[in-house]
Amino acid sequence: MRNGEKEDRFSVETRNLVKRFGKFTAVDDLDLKVKRGEIYGLLGPNGAGKTTTIKILCGLLKVSSGDCYVLGEKIPSRRAAFRIGYIPQETALYPGLSVHQNIQFFGGVFGLSRKKIGERESELLRFINLEEWDRELVENLSGGMKHRVSLACSMIHQPQLLFLDEPTVGVDPELRASFWEYFDQLKQSGVTILITTHYMDEASHCDRIGFMRRGRLIAEGRPEKILEIAGTSNLEDAFMVFSRRGGEP
Amino acid sequence: MRNPRFLKVAWRIILGLRNDIRTLALMFLAPIFAMFVFGLAFSGEVEDVKVMVVNQDQGITVPVGGGQVSISQMVIDNLDPEVVVVEYAESEKEGVAAVENGNVYAALVFPPDLTANALEKIGGDTSAGDATIKLRLDKSNVNVANAITKAVSDALLKTVEQVGEEPAVSISTGEAIYGENARFIDFFVPGVLAFVVFVLTTLLTLISFVSERTSGTLDRLLATPLGPGDIVMGYATAFSLVGLIQSALLLIVGVAAFHIIIEGNVLLAFLAVAMLAVVSQALGILLSSLAKQEAQAIQFFPFIILPAFLLAGIFWPLEAIPTWLRPLSYLVPPTYTADACRSVMLKGWGLGKIWVDLLALMGFAAAFLALAMLSLKVRKD
Repeated sequence: MRNGEKEDRFSVETRNLVKRFGKFTAVDDLDLKVKRGEIYGLLGPNGAGKTTTIKILCGLLKVSSGDCYVLGEKIPSRRAAFRIGYIPQETALYPGLSVHQNIQFFGGVFGLSRKKIGERESELLRFINLEEWDRELVENLSGGMKHRVSLACSMIHQPQLLFLDEPTVGVDPELRASFWEYFDQLKQSGVTILITTHYMDEASHCDRIGFMRRGRLIAEGRPEKILEIAGTSNLEDAFMVFSRRGGEP
Repeated sequence: MRNPRFLKVAWRIILGLRNDIRTLALMFLAPIFAMFVFGLAFSGEVEDVKVMVVNQDQGITVPVGGGQVSISQMVIDNLDPEVVVVEYAESEKEGVAAVENGNVYAALVFPPDLTANALEKIGGDTSAGDATIKLRLDKSNVNVANAITKAVSDALLKTVEQVGEEPAVSISTGEAIYGENARFIDFFVPGVLAFVVFVLTTLLTLISFVSERTSGTLDRLLATPLGPGDIVMGYATAFSLVGLIQSALLLIVGVAAFHIIIEGNVLLAFLAVAMLAVVSQALGILLSSLAKQEAQAIQFFPFIILPAFLLAGIFWPLEAIPTWLRPLSYLVPPTYTADACRSVMLKGWGLGKIWVDLLALMGFAAAFLALAMLSLKVRKD
């Protein structure tokens, strides 16, 4: 019942989350709440702990201490795995398989029926605008196309929550813009998105952002609110302000 | 009922292989190529060795009838013509010089009065002169030297019998219990089955799994409802199937081109090969956890290929491996598959006799599968 309540309001909730690798603390006492249906951007420099946080939430890393819940399930949870989508930093596709074969494979992994996979595949190929390319091997696609296929594979099972780890790294500005259009559309359809990025300019697309530094959340809120509190005109400067303060506003 | 999830993983691997002509060729043509290269070039039998004969024996004239008898000539005539190619020299010095120059591998010197002395000795004359045939060998090539020694000994034995002298003790090999008419290729093909399946499966799994780790697909898979067990079992299923196809192709070509002997139930040989494929893919997954990039995976190649090549009894029997090193052979999984396949194919043995090999393979499979799954779980810590 308690979990159900959590899920009503928050798709992701961590409490005092700590992850250590030996003596190094990658995530340090993190309290993170992502509301249902929002796009939450986790921002910070390389090594801030963003990827580690996402990997913990996807059940890929064990926590050192603290709790975390995803869609009301205590992580790690196989039940939650059926309802989340994850794109790692790499495109994470099988280059020797065609677009169609990649999508079919990931659909099968989630236990979808052949018919369901077929329906979803058509919808997703239309969504990522690659209908003509479904029989092409992934290794023959451009970088941008691979990113789009990767997004389609993570969406095949209609997840309620998407974890996107730096999905726009190495992507040209035009494609980045179209990616954000995709994310907005997904949000409209009720999907919650937790996205990490170190492009501060992308934060304006998020409903809320959190600044991460050395494994800690040093500021959190709506982008315009953060700018207002920091008294800066851009988020990069705002990040520097909060870094110097070393705490939340 | 839906198919188990590990079958999705297996199917994905098979699709990937089907799409990749180069890897497919490597998997299925390389073993056949290896069999032809070794089968044709490395028959294991020494043939056409040049021997310089120095025949100083004058022989004797038989008192009755006036015929000529020469034991040296009889020995020369009895030399196996497939092994020895006879050339002649006038003197021992000339014969030895031919060996020293590398023109021949041995000089076979029959002394003067060999026939006379030998016959006197046979007649019981203890004061008879020397009847020793000298064989001056180039022993730098042990196989060739042994082949010449054996050919000369056989010829001598046959000659002694021809002159009517029965040795007091003789040996009868009779009909072989196993492997009548077996050639080196018959010994070799079962070994090749084990060798190629072990090496190719381990290397291919190692490389594909390092690629799963570096390309992010492993993370993506582990974030889905798939567990480490599904992934490992998927790989095991796909590569056992590949191993079976490799073995079937090898055996078909082996029978068609080399007429290899298959005495027993070939399905048992397939079983041993499939089990080895499971062991090998699990080993590949395990090793992949030690490599961060595909280039690093290449550093493992010698550690996979050399023990299988040297210790598993593929090219020579385990008995040819030094006793102190032999325990290591039993730690190399293809040893058991090679032994099981040979027992089935050459001796016609059944499950009742090869179960020890299969049990050992099952032990390796269980241990390596568990360790491979653990290596995927450990990432979570």
